[in-house]
Amino acid sequence: MKKIFKLIFVVFIFTFFIFTTKSAEAAGLTAGEIVDKANLAYYYGGSDGRAEMKMTITDSRGRERIREMVMLRKDLTDGGEQKFYVFFKNPPDVNGMVFMVLKRPGGTDDRWLYIPAVDLVKRVASKDKRSSFAGSHFTYEDVSGRDTSADTHELLGLEKLGVRDVYLIKNTPKNPDLVEFSFFKVWIDKENFLPLKGEYFDKKGNLQKTVTVDEVEVIDGIASVLKGKVAEVGRGSTVVEFKNIRYNLGFKDKIFTERSLRKPPRKWLK
Amino acid sequence: MKKILLRAVRFSMQKPKTVIAFYVLISVIFLLAFPHVRVDTDPENMLSENEPVRLAHEEAKHDFSLFDSIIVGVVDESAPDGVFSAETLQRHAAVTERILQIEGVIAEDVMSLTTTDDIDSEGGMLNIEPLMKKAGVLTDAEALQVRDAALENPVLKDLLVSEDGKAITIAVPIKEKKISYKISKEIEKIIEEEVVNVGGSEEYHIAGLPVAEDTFGVEMFKQMGISAPVAGFIIFLLMLYFFRNLRLVGAAMAVAMMTVAWSMGLLIWSGFTVHIMSSMIPIFLMPIAVVDSIHFLSEFHDRYDPEESKNTIINSVMGELLTPMFYTSVTSAVGFLSLMLTPIPPVKVFGAFVAFGIIIAWFLTITLLPAIIILLPKKSFSGFGRGVSLAINPLQERIGLFASRWSRAIIVVAFISLGISIYGITLTKVNDNPVKWFEKNHPVRVADKVLNKHFGGTYMSYLIVESTESGAIKDPLMVGYIEELQRKLNSIDVVGKTTSIADVIKKIGFELRNEDKAFFKIPDNKKTIAQYLFLYEFSGDPEDLYHLVTPDFKKANIWVQLKSGDNADMRQVEVAMEEYIEKNPPPLGASLHWAGLTYINVVWQDKMVYGMLSSLMGGAFVIFIIMTLLFRSFAWGFISMLPLTFTITFIYGLVGFVGKDYDMPIAVLSALTLGISVDFAIHFGQRMRQIRAKGGEWNESIKEVFGEPVRAIFKNMVVITVSFLPLLFSTLLPYRTVGVFFALIMAISGAATLLLLTAVMNLLRGPLKL
Repeated sequence: MKKIFKLIFVVFIFTFFIFTTKSAEAAGLTAGEIVDKANLAYYYGGSDGRAEMKMTITDSRGRERIREMVMLRKDLTDGGEQKFYVFFKNPPDVNGMVFMVLKRPGGTDDRWLYIPAVDLVKRVASKDKRSSFAGSHFTYEDVSGRDTSADTHELLGLEKLGVRDVYLIKNTPKNPDLVEFSFFKVWIDKENFLPLKGEYFDKKGNLQKTVTVDEVEVIDGIASVLKGKVAEVGRGSTVVEFKNIRYNLGFKDKIFTERSLRKPPRKWLK
Repeated sequence: MKKILLRAVRFSMQKPKTVIAFYVLISVIFLLAFPHVRVDTDPENMLSENEPVRLAHEEAKHDFSLFDSIIVGVVDESAPDGVFSAETLQRHAAVTERILQIEGVIAEDVMSLTTTDDIDSEGGMLNIEPLMKKAGVLTDAEALQVRDAALENPVLKDLLVSEDGKAITIAVPIKEKKISYKISKEIEKIIEEEVVNVGGSEEYHIAGLPVAEDTFGVEMFKQMGISAPVAGFIIFLLMLYFFRNLRLVGAAMAVAMMTVAWSMGLLIWSGFTVHIMSSMIPIFLMPIAVVDSIHFLSEFHDRYDPEESKNTIINSVMGELLTPMFYTSVTSAVGFLSLMLTPIPPVKVFGAFVAFGIIIAWFLTITLLPAIIILLPKKSFSGFGRGVSLAINPLQERIGLFASRWSRAIIVVAFISLGISIYGITLTKVNDNPVKWFEKNHPVRVADKVLNKHFGGTYMSYLIVESTESGAIKDPLMVGYIEELQRKLNSIDVVGKTTSIADVIKKIGFELRNEDKAFFKIPDNKKTIAQYLFLYEFSGDPEDLYHLVTPDFKKANIWVQLKSGDNADMRQVEVAMEEYIEKNPPPLGASLHWAGLTYINVVWQDKMVYGMLSSLMGGAFVIFIIMTLLFRSFAWGFISMLPLTFTITFIYGLVGFVGKDYDMPIAVLSALTLGISVDFAIHFGQRMRQIRAKGGEWNESIKEVFGEPVRAIFKNMVVITVSFLPLLFSTLLPYRTVGVFFALIMAISGAATLLLLTAVMNLLRGPLKL
């Protein structure tokens, strides 16, 4: 409870001092601009960053699996290319597996996987960005961001989501054959532009999956997600929790190379 | 007892209108139940819900997210590359896409070229994605690539793509088995629109156990809706022919109709569902219900005298018939009640309600029939009665005299044929197969034949490996053992294909090493296996894995595809594996068990066979006691069992000889034989004793017994045989089987009664006090 009060207080102060001017500007934003800002706020905080991630995957039968990993990220340009280095710690028998991505919005990503048990680096095809990330209910796009130019955006209105003022935007894919949904709605915080909730609808128009941001904290001046959840109708859910989030650590490029898959940058993984 | 019954008869004659009104009222109450009928066509319900095998099946479905599946197969025998052309595959993708949208289909678990992941590495890049993109525009060359990739994947080969490259399938999991007929109809419509209307040369077939079972249920009700009324009509015409009096025959029909209405009404009001078995209740009850009426009307006909009051005639007819009618009804009821000794709920319900109906029919015959006759005006009996047809059929007489003359020979022949029959019984093949319930050219049967010709089999059962230790399945010892189990399974000829987590692990290893065959094997340590499988989750649909293993890796599921739905085949696999597992027990303290619809059918079949045996024995014993009581003599009790013993042995011996599978309908026939054969013996024996009590020449007595009493027996034989004839025109084979065997049972038990009983009575006149 105390934490939430603290959070609300922090968000309030933060909003008041920093975003008062920004939100005034935002009054005239188009749907496309709002989505772009949200993309930046959610996926491009700082020039780089690290976080420890814990995913609790619950399947439709209520059975839980836990995955723990450390994620390192470096942005090449804001809103453009990014590199991710994901080091798995748990479950114990996959400790040391590394997943590395070079993300190219609008293009094809490069993905590598390191399998320590056989000391093998394998490139992994990335044509399908809608497939599951590490067996969770999150897709690759949920984790590393969806190319904003793949959809058309429509501002449905301004709403309240809990205590927060939000923009409600409907996104419709330009090429519906590439995705499993027909459209998705997203609720974007009017002040810090974090997407707080997303709802995906299947081809029949039924709600298929809900993504929510459940806890936010400002870290190093950046509104950061501490806890989120994705729930698929009838197929279970995944809760993700972040801790020890830090930004602007000055990651060197060599962290994101094939070589470092075998020799992990221990310093950043503790 | 007889006095009380006679009082009931007299009461009906004194207050006929009250009695009729009362019965009509009760009938209305039972008829009101009919709109509340609940239908159940699921053969799984042959076993009670908490039967261990059903619980295990439910657990497996839950653990591995398994659903009953409809199999949609596509075959093109005419094209050189089978279905692998750009056009055919594109139509196939369109059909699949629309199937995914059908309500009740578990879209995420549909297995097809466009939805199921393949593991492949091209140019050093690991790729886990469906073989075919939904919208991908294909060339014929690409279509062949799809085929080759599928055939290289041990999981998909023979499951999605046939080994000969001519055929592909879509496995469509559905929420509930009972919607499979409806969904199969929707799929048919999609195929019509997407393939047939655009002139595609490929053929689509819809198969799978749920479709067979549910389609049977749907057709069953159609059949029963036709067969039962037709049977009723035929009985009506026959009786009209026998008695040539519309009103009297109408009265007997009222007894039959009320019997059916009461029994089915009570069944529905009691909350039972109408199952494959209980749907046959009306067609069983109608002929049995008129049997007593026929005896009554025959006797009434022969004694009718316009000078005498109807009251007196009915009293004297009842005086003669009340006892045999009571006993025949009780023994028939016992025959069907014996079905309650089987452990199969729908068979129990069937037995109980047919027995109830028999008792109702008897009571209506002795009360409702007299009430109606009393109310009929005298003129409706003009041209009726003994003055009209007293002619004794010379053929009947000759049969009786023949049996008396050749008594010894008849007994010798009977014994010889009994011996041969017993040998025939040892040849019995116990087997059932829901697909074989349909005619050879029925779409369900055709689909089954075509698909099982090309594929590893559309009949799925599951061999579950279960350990108490979490993560045990990742152990190389365990994966190796699973691989061995598969090797053994694949060596059994009825097994078409097996699939397990071992196949996935091997395939990943192979693709990781750029398709190096040396790595198509199970890794030697647990970590590698764990990391291989984790890798699958990175690229493929993780749910795919969890159809083969539980997320805690405590249990693994080996899919075993059989080429036929014959229970005997499943049984063969089960026995072979039991032997193998005995010699090669699983590692790490794991245990093994079976699940799946194909396996469930085997279990209830076993229960049915042994259940029927105990019910037959139990029923026969009770009837023996009743007969001994009725005749107050062990010798009589014993000989009245002869016709039914002979008939049952003969019928089942014949089943064994002609190689007809001993299945459910055949099994149920024993109850009918038990109940009906003894009826003939009762009427025959009782009348023989009455007539012999008057003394006189044996041959004269024979002539008398082979007069009216035998005529009544003949009429009953004809009515029962003929009323089951509509079943012969059914499109469903179990009904035809019942129809054919009914006729046979009637003929055999009739012959056994008239020849064998006469011969035995003739030779044992002394001990039988004749």
